[in-house]
Amino acid sequence: MKVRYQNRIELLQGTLDLLILQTLQWGPQHGYGISQAIRANSGEVLRVDTGSLYPALHRLERQKWIEAEWEVSENRQRVRVYHLTGKGKKQLLTERSRWEQLQDAIAGILSPAKGESKA
Amino acid sequence: MNFPFWRRRQKEDDLKNEIESHLQMAASEREERGELNPEAQHAARREFGNVDLVRKVTRHQWGGLWLEHLLQDIRFGARMLRRNPVFTLVAMMTLALGIGANTAVFSIVNAVLLRPLPFQHADRIYQVGRTGNRIGGFSISLPIFLAWQDKRKVFEHLALIRWSGPETLTGAGDPLQVRSLSVSTEFFPALGVQPALGRTFVPEEGKPGGARALMLGEGFWRSYFGGDPNLLGRTLTMDGEQFAVVGVLPRGFELPIPGARDVQVWFPIQLPTESHNPSNEALCVGLLRADITPSQAEAALTPPITELSRQFPTMIGANEQARLVGLRNFVSRRAGRAPLLLVGAVAFLLLIVCANVANLLLARAGVRKREMAIRAAIGAGRGRIIRQLLTESVLLALLGGSTGVLVCYLSFDFILSLVPAGLLRVGTVRIDIPVLAATFLLSLLAGAVFGLVPALHTSRQDLNLSLNEASRQSSSASHGWLRSSLVVSEVALALVLLMGAALLIESFARLLRVQPGFDSSRLLTFQLALPMKQYGSPDQRALLFKQATLGFSALPGTEQVGLANVLPLRGGPDLLFNIVAGTGSISPDTALDAEYRIISPGYFSVLHIPVLRGRTFNETDDHASQAVAIINRTMAESFWPGLDPIGRRIWIGKPMGPAWTEPAPREIVGVVEDIRESSLAEPPEATMYIPFGQAPHSGAAFFMVRTAGDPTAVVPSLRSAMKNVDAALPLSSVTTMDEVVTASLGDWRFRTTLLAIFGGVALFIATIGVYGVVSYSVSQRTQEMGIRAALGAKPVALLRLVLLDGAKLALTGVLTGILAALGLTRLMTGLLFGTKPTDLWTFAVIAILLVMVAVAACYFPARRASRVDPVVAMRYE
Repeated sequence: MKVRYQNRIELLQGTLDLLILQTLQWGPQHGYGISQAIRANSGEVLRVDTGSLYPALHRLERQKWIEAEWEVSENRQRVRVYHLTGKGKKQLLTERSRWEQLQDAIAGILSPAKGESKA
Repeated sequence: MNFPFWRRRQKEDDLKNEIESHLQMAASEREERGELNPEAQHAARREFGNVDLVRKVTRHQWGGLWLEHLLQDIRFGARMLRRNPVFTLVAMMTLALGIGANTAVFSIVNAVLLRPLPFQHADRIYQVGRTGNRIGGFSISLPIFLAWQDKRKVFEHLALIRWSGPETLTGAGDPLQVRSLSVSTEFFPALGVQPALGRTFVPEEGKPGGARALMLGEGFWRSYFGGDPNLLGRTLTMDGEQFAVVGVLPRGFELPIPGARDVQVWFPIQLPTESHNPSNEALCVGLLRADITPSQAEAALTPPITELSRQFPTMIGANEQARLVGLRNFVSRRAGRAPLLLVGAVAFLLLIVCANVANLLLARAGVRKREMAIRAAIGAGRGRIIRQLLTESVLLALLGGSTGVLVCYLSFDFILSLVPAGLLRVGTVRIDIPVLAATFLLSLLAGAVFGLVPALHTSRQDLNLSLNEASRQSSSASHGWLRSSLVVSEVALALVLLMGAALLIESFARLLRVQPGFDSSRLLTFQLALPMKQYGSPDQRALLFKQATLGFSALPGTEQVGLANVLPLRGGPDLLFNIVAGTGSISPDTALDAEYRIISPGYFSVLHIPVLRGRTFNETDDHASQAVAIINRTMAESFWPGLDPIGRRIWIGKPMGPAWTEPAPREIVGVVEDIRESSLAEPPEATMYIPFGQAPHSGAAFFMVRTAGDPTAVVPSLRSAMKNVDAALPLSSVTTMDEVVTASLGDWRFRTTLLAIFGGVALFIATIGVYGVVSYSVSQRTQEMGIRAALGAKPVALLRLVLLDGAKLALTGVLTGILAALGLTRLMTGLLFGTKPTDLWTFAVIAILLVMVAVAACYFPARRASRVDPVVAMRYE
């Protein structure tokens, strides 16, 4: 147990929304698929807890950033598939730029020398 | 809320399926990787985590949670109420009394004062009158109305209304006396009334010599003519004249002015171009133009009155002004203070009920302490607990409210029978949507009021203390004072209500003791209306009255017969007069005022009114003989104090101008004892009596027949006797004099009965309140009582201890109540008769009554306390 937890990184507040929106940008996906995609694309580092994933999906749905429909999967299973709305695409851009700012800021703190030389 | 609650179930299913499909997909992927079926399923589920928890936190994102909580609270509240049937029933019935009484009173107040008048542009319809009218009323005379015609452009329509008195309908079965009203042709357009059938009056019918037309009231048309639509265009004979039926008014149409209820026939007024009739016998209503204010209209209408007052100084005062009063205000002004009294009384009653139910809830809060503590322990916030408790109390209030409405609905005929018939718009009293809505809101409010204090109190308890607490003892201290103060306020409120009721009862009893001055027993009365065509001259009328009187007197079972232009206790006309040659400080020019009654020779004997001096009238007092009058004691004492009025002369109508002046002065030939002319509540007024044989006008007459036995038994023989005199004249408004006396007290009886009922209910509820609190505190103090008993206290001492507790509560309440009552009963001054609003005896009696009842209510818990077995009590928790 302990080993597994060391490999996982706790998601920063608000980043889950960004990850979901980003994942859905590649195409419509169901909840399980989204969690698998985040896990695979992060090289098994990020694991999204279902107790966070589903509330987030329903919250985004309520914000009208994503929409859900019932579809039948390849395994002939009824699945609830989410896709981005126009509003959601705009939101994704905002969230991305915010994330990039945050990234730069953190990078600046972590490598001060590089920051100073630049200035 | 993002979606309607009926879609919540759908959404709930979706979430369940979504999670299910997640688990399926996870499991089948594991199977593809080679895991075996049951293990794959289990692993998927393990990886997913707590399904219920995920569902719950996801649901939280949906919004609209308050609704879910509310439904939960209601379900839970209903279960709690069902589980405590005795508590629920008691609280519900108490609330039903309080809210039901409010519903009943509100239905009356709504109809009389609040509901908009059912006319188009009702807010622009005004009663147009004048200030300074001699009799203080709002009525105007024909010359004023005609003078206003030039200024009428401030109105869209300006119309005149005139009471036309009873008319006799002949030629359609038995002759029938009908209630009629005359209106100028613009009346119906002013009110925006569309006929149910046919048309309203056309301008042509309002000109002198125009076609004679009439309209029928819907009720009369339906009951008397069977709703026959072919009646349109037919002619009816009214008082011997022919009128064409041109229309039928819509159902329920009622003009909210006195004397216009249940009008059966409407006539158009044929307006002359000129008039010198000074009589203020008409009312004026107008539909004001939308861009004119009432004060602008008053400014425009005042100059014509001033002009007229110069022309007829005796008819109109010099400083009179036009005055507009909204028809709505006119109605509420006439209703006076009584509605306010009733509204105040039921509000008090509801407050008492709320205090009582709050007390019941507090008593239960003790029992539910553990439940609340457990709720708090598993994470319910204080707000959540308060909300739960409030939901319960509102639920209770709504249950009580609906029971109250049901009771009110079932007893509505009884309530209506109490409402005095003279109240305007009383015909429209009903339980309708606004009344139900008001009751609903009131129930919600009551639920919040009586629920809030217990809810706040219960939810504040210390968690640890409650859970660990084994004994119930300590809880009594924490809200004992609260329960006591609730009971004290109940007693105080009940005292105020009872004071109000007692003052009204005292007034009513005094009124019933008032001697009307005449003997009403075995006295039948009815009205006879004489058509002006056949009975135009005083001689013709006198002859008819004489023949009818003879015919009635000859019947077996009748003793005496008399008649007058109006019945006692019903009020009547008053006229101005001069004393010829003057007397004392009164000059011959002084205008004096007295009631004016036209009577037959038998009037005083049939009513058993004693003659103090001189003589009564006889058959020889007619137009050929000396004009005479009889006056009452008050008139004699006010104008000839210490002198003998017999032989003095008065000139009736002289101060009112030529049109009213009698041809010659009258000689006073007798003085009679006073009777109550207007009402039992008003002192006798100066009254002059004129013999029918010498009366210039009045076509209607009220007969009074003293009978040997049951007065109603002679009605058939009276009717056939009347047929022998004139078959075309019907007897109408047949009633007994006792009923006239009873009816004259209608509005007194109404408010006295209602307030007595409310006061009784208040006393009952407050008593229950005192009983509840004392009996609760006795059960709390069982241990203490046991110790006292063990230490040698005698049962009587214990009994006294508890009774004193109850008396202390009651006394505090009574003292508080007296202070409040001293302030509040002052507002009743105008509604009392012969009773001061701070009547000492009434206060004392009610206070003692309340304390005694409260102490009596404590007797049962006190006896329980006095019989406590020390051994049992010590073990008692």
